[in-house]
Amino acid sequence: MNKSGLVIRLAIVIIFTAIIVGLITTQLFYRFTFINEQALGEQSINQLYNTVSPTASIASYLGNDELAEEVVNGLISNDIVTSAAIKTDVLMVKSSNFLESNDILQFVLFSPFQKERKVGVLLVKPNKEYLAEKASKISATNTFVVAVEAFIITIISILVTYYVITRPILSIGKALHSIRPGTNERIDKPTSHQQSEIGQLADDVNDLLVKAEQQMLSEKRLRNEVQVLESRFRMLFENATSAIVLVEPQGDILLYNETFEKLIEKLQLPLKKNYGNYLQDIFIMKKELQEQVKIAFANNESATAELELISYLEEKIWVQVVVTPLVTDDFQENYQITLHDISKRKRQISLLDQKANYDSLTNLLNRQAAEQHLNQLTATKVPFALIMMDLNDFKPINDIFGHDAGDEILIHVASQLLKNLRKADVLSRWGGDEFVIVLPNASKEEVINVCAKLNSTLSKPHNLSQHDKSVFVTASMGVSFYPDDQVELLELIRVADKAMYQVKKDKSANNDLYLAFASDMHNSISNNKPL
Amino acid sequence: MKQFNRILTITLLMLCIASVQAMEPLAVVVNKANPIDKLTRSELIDLFMGKYVAFPDDSKAMPVELKGEHDIKVTFYRSLVDMPLSRVNAYWSRLRFTGRKRVAVFQPNEAELIDYIIANEQAIGYVPQSLITEDLKVVYILNE
Repeated sequence: MNKSGLVIRLAIVIIFTAIIVGLITTQLFYRFTFINEQALGEQSINQLYNTVSPTASIASYLGNDELAEEVVNGLISNDIVTSAAIKTDVLMVKSSNFLESNDILQFVLFSPFQKERKVGVLLVKPNKEYLAEKASKISATNTFVVAVEAFIITIISILVTYYVITRPILSIGKALHSIRPGTNERIDKPTSHQQSEIGQLADDVNDLLVKAEQQMLSEKRLRNEVQVLESRFRMLFENATSAIVLVEPQGDILLYNETFEKLIEKLQLPLKKNYGNYLQDIFIMKKELQEQVKIAFANNESATAELELISYLEEKIWVQVVVTPLVTDDFQENYQITLHDISKRKRQISLLDQKANYDSLTNLLNRQAAEQHLNQLTATKVPFALIMMDLNDFKPINDIFGHDAGDEILIHVASQLLKNLRKADVLSRWGGDEFVIVLPNASKEEVINVCAKLNSTLSKPHNLSQHDKSVFVTASMGVSFYPDDQVELLELIRVADKAMYQVKKDKSANNDLYLAFASDMHNSISNNKPL
Repeated sequence: MKQFNRILTITLLMLCIASVQAMEPLAVVVNKANPIDKLTRSELIDLFMGKYVAFPDDSKAMPVELKGEHDIKVTFYRSLVDMPLSRVNAYWSRLRFTGRKRVAVFQPNEAELIDYIIANEQAIGYVPQSLITEDLKVVYILNE
């Protein structure tokens, strides 16, 4: 049995209380009885005196020994009297064991005929021991009775509390102990406590159990719903074609999907917990990402950027990055970063770009692209020289050897021109056999040098692969300077074109002529004097 | 019962008083030759109730009584010790068991009583005041 259990504790308290109360009660009882018995003893002696006083008076009055002896003997025959004596002026009759002492009671004897006349003294020694013993006996009996009573009350109290209170509570407790909350198990109401507080307790406990069950059921249902939802979300997240990463502001990755893992694998980068803010370390252009994010966040928008990833592969990987700030329920800002692979689209775009801006035959920029370059240069006010070049004697080659030969010549020319130009220079096929060369920041001397080089290169004969025939082409070049000659682009082209035609025109007179400057054309026109 | 007793006692008392009032005072007398002139009430009680059998001067005393329940006797004890005669008799009966005999002379009437006192020097008795003669010496008068 449990030492600190309810039953034991209650029993201990009751027994302890019973012992204390019993002790106090019996003690009080004992004292009270003792005092009472002693008083009764004295009263008895007084009564004895009253009984014997007439005879004692006569004996004293007459000084009669026999009568006095009779009285004394009569007195000591009582249990409560130890010894007795009658004393007068002439007489002293006493019991054999009579001794003078303090505790002797004295009763004055008067003359039987004259109530005021003292004739002697009756001395009685009460039997204290007997009185005490009697008192003890009575009080002991009383004490025993009280003790028995206390014992019976204790036992009854324990039994009643056990059967009426403790056992039902214990049974409720035990039942409750073995019940699993959330099930349809209930505790039994004790039969003897249908209406009592303990019954009420059982009812309340059952109500609680009902509530717990309902709550648990609804929680279970909710949990299931959440689980289903979660699995769907997980499916969505894990099977997303875009890499999705959740990062903290410091760049620590909280969550990523399989696609991201694959992407990192593909980039042959180590899978880390942190790739810097907004995963910046995996991008080639970190700064652009930071700027985009800054601008977008300032406008409360998601940041979107198309960036190239760091990769050790030959194939470039481009992604569309979307950084969306997410605020969690506990007001913490995280970022959702999605990386959508746009490499394929990028490639297609660049392919389209190629088609749109490059001449498919020579792989040089086409006219449109060249114009864009020129527009860009004029927009940024970069000074440049524009060389308009046209091939001479191209048409006969085309006519004689066919288009394939013409094409071959054009490709050859393009490659020759490209060889003699700087990286910053722009070479484009303007149309047919016309080329435009743009030399940014070029002086007139430089232009003359370049053109001389180009002319000499082109003059070298070229062997037509299909026809086993060496041919060579020459070119006429007209040059205009931006912004010195013209600020307007169309005008600039027009004056260069005009200079170029002037060269063609003058070539019949001077076969070595290949270059004319628009600025000179102006002069020559005004002066009407050929170069 | 107690109440009844008390009522009885009071009634008797009233009767006695009535009888005493009706009767003249009693005088205690001795022989003329007796040297005693006066006795105290206590001395008188001691003589008649048997404590002493001698006068205060140690000469022998002989109480003289009337026989039976004579009215004068009743009045005498009523006046002297405030007791009915029955109790006085009971007192003597009791003493008899202890072996003590009463020293007294009993006379059938007042005349013989007086004669006895005149004849005996030790004698002491009680008589109504009207019967006192020259030959008797009054030593005490019982007044109510």
